[in-house]
Amino acid sequence: MNALSTVTIGQSQTVVHLATDQQNVMRKLMALGIMPGSSLVLEQRFPSYIIKVGHTRTALDGETAASIFVE
Amino acid sequence: MNCHQCPKNNCTNQKSPGWWKLFRKTPRALELSSQDAQIALVGMPNVGKSVLFNRLTGIYVTVSNYPGTTVEVSRGLAQIGEQNVLVIDTPGMYSLVPISDEERVARDLLLKTSLTAVIQVVDAKNLGRMLPLTFQLIEAGLPLLLAVNMMDEAHRLGLKVQQKALAVELGIPVILTSAALNQGIDELKSALAKCLPSERVAIPA
Amino acid sequence: MTSQVLYQEPIEEAIASLETWIDNHRQSNLFREYTFSSRSLALLLLQKDPSLWSALKQDEEQCREVEIVLTVAQNKLEYPVNLAIAQTRQQQARRLESIVLQETKRTQTSLTETLHRFTVNPLTGFPLLVVILYFGVYKFVGEFGAGELVDRIEGFYEGQINPIVNQITAQIIPWQSLQDLIANDYGIITLGIRYAVAIVLPVVATYFLMFSLLEDSGYLPRMSLMLDRLFKSMGLSGRAVIPMVLGLGCDTMATMVTRTLETKRERVIATFLLSLAVPCAAQWGVILGLLAQKPAALMVWGGLITAIFLAVGYITAKLLPGSSGGFYMEVPPLRLPKLRNILTKTWIRMKWYFWEILPLFIWASVFIWIGRLTGLFEMIIRGIEPLVAAIGMPPETAPVFLYGFFRRDYGAAGLFDIQQQGLLTGNQLVVAAIVLTLFLPCIAQLQMMIKERGLKTTIAMVLFIVPFAFLTGYCVNLGLTLLGVNL
Repeated sequence: MNALSTVTIGQSQTVVHLATDQQNVMRKLMALGIMPGSSLVLEQRFPSYIIKVGHTRTALDGETAASIFVE
Repeated sequence: MNCHQCPKNNCTNQKSPGWWKLFRKTPRALELSSQDAQIALVGMPNVGKSVLFNRLTGIYVTVSNYPGTTVEVSRGLAQIGEQNVLVIDTPGMYSLVPISDEERVARDLLLKTSLTAVIQVVDAKNLGRMLPLTFQLIEAGLPLLLAVNMMDEAHRLGLKVQQKALAVELGIPVILTSAALNQGIDELKSALAKCLPSERVAIPA
Repeated sequence: MTSQVLYQEPIEEAIASLETWIDNHRQSNLFREYTFSSRSLALLLLQKDPSLWSALKQDEEQCREVEIVLTVAQNKLEYPVNLAIAQTRQQQARRLESIVLQETKRTQTSLTETLHRFTVNPLTGFPLLVVILYFGVYKFVGEFGAGELVDRIEGFYEGQINPIVNQITAQIIPWQSLQDLIANDYGIITLGIRYAVAIVLPVVATYFLMFSLLEDSGYLPRMSLMLDRLFKSMGLSGRAVIPMVLGLGCDTMATMVTRTLETKRERVIATFLLSLAVPCAAQWGVILGLLAQKPAALMVWGGLITAIFLAVGYITAKLLPGSSGGFYMEVPPLRLPKLRNILTKTWIRMKWYFWEILPLFIWASVFIWIGRLTGLFEMIIRGIEPLVAAIGMPPETAPVFLYGFFRRDYGAAGLFDIQQQGLLTGNQLVVAAIVLTLFLPCIAQLQMMIKERGLKTTIAMVLFIVPFAFLTGYCVNLGLTLLGVNL
């Protein structure tokens, strides 16, 4: 299990865990299609995280991105 | 993003802006009787609900290329078949459980209004991400139609949508549209016409 | 029949018992007005839907029943209930997508893709942001709109229309006082409509044109993600970037759009900053025009307003309890904007804006007329003259601050008139521009603030803004004098 802050940029990753106790953060991520089982590509980390799921790009701040763990 | 939506909300202008429009729009609004069918446009943010609303009603609401442009409900009349139908444009929502205020607006409208039809607009490029909302709308027992929008952009990405298969799997009418190019609007209208209670058909003796 | 999603066993069990429970309570106040199926309502309860639960909480008995069902289901599951529900839906969605969606060719890196990278890469994105602000805002709106266009339209109005209006009124209306209502120095047509049409409209039109272009191209979300970190320091998030940029066009519209912000705290901070330190296009356009000949003065004004924006934001964020909402935003593809759409949108916004301000400008003319006729204005102006003198202004500017109360841009436009007469020094211009920028928002924005944030919050903000504006003016004037700076 790896945090997004450590994975290689541009490689497809499978989400395994969402580590947050905030309902809202969880809901947001799920609404954007980010949940255990879905695959994503991390495109950049600064100034914001940009994640691509399918054909959707999403920008996230560091704290929100920190709750995503991939295989 | 749009203040001019506040005057527009109820078809008539409340205040000073565009007083000349009062003369044009009020009569249209008055034509609406309480028995008229109401349909709502719903869907995730930035899928083209407002463009479709423009196409159906001829009323302009601000459209932008970013999620969250529409923050209020807009209403307008559309001619579907022989009938006047009240079309309601809603702010985007990701799921039936609202996260933000404008999502709550859309959800509460669905929850508390009796609607003749609900059109869920989805982005063809991101169909997989949009379908969970479709499932929820079907679960809620709403009279749902699916408008698979932005087909032009999907084509450019080399994506093909099997319209029939999707309709069969979901058990609801599915229409492919490119609202920005005015494609598929007629198909959508005729699919809508089938959902409306039929006109008082004169039954020959 | 439509296909339903089947959830995991424990969830289906919970749905079944909740469905029965809901069916039994269908006529109660809780569910009567809802149109959704019982299955759907059961799922909403399981997902802890905030509004359903707050209604449920009115009856502790009911609440406990539902909670028990939820706990039983949760104990049998590996993931939280709402995650499990979402996952099942997502799996079903993905399965269905794989059946109905075919990808015929692999997408290669296209031009829009390259452009996207260019806009969000920090090395190229930040310079691009500066370039866009410089050319789009400063050059196009500031120099072209507020400079070139205003000069021409204003010149035409003063040269061609005002004399004719004055002449006609003088001929058909015998009374001097009534003539003044329509024409001459403070008339409805010669002052009110002139401000609206010749000074404010060109600035606002060019700004909205530029904003629509940024909007339709899809650049704004990219701007949001680039500035998220900066905005975080003010208790806001990248989401607030769009309202703020819109606020540089019209603060009233922007105040309405703060609704898209996630937490109440963010909405309060954004509304406050909009009303204090974000000048609308009409205002900064006119100020830019005023200070155009004095680059140093312009720098002082711009630097100070930016500093106040950042500092007040930072301090407010420290003082207001609560945390800032997280930032998440979909980044739509970049699109080539369609000229027609941009023009329509600009036109609609302008129309809205114009009809919003024109009556206020006309009313202002009428009030000024009544005020001057009855001597009431003289009294008020006398009253604020010491205040104006305290910030180092000549007495002629006192009316400007009074008009500024009707609308900030009206005040700025009045300043424009005084400057044309060559009555102000560089220092005085800067101080006046700063005070007017910080000063109360226009009446329309006040109404919107009350509507969106409530009366109490609005009054609190106003009570801070007015003294703060004058105090800042006082300090700047004092500072400039002490340092012996002559701008």
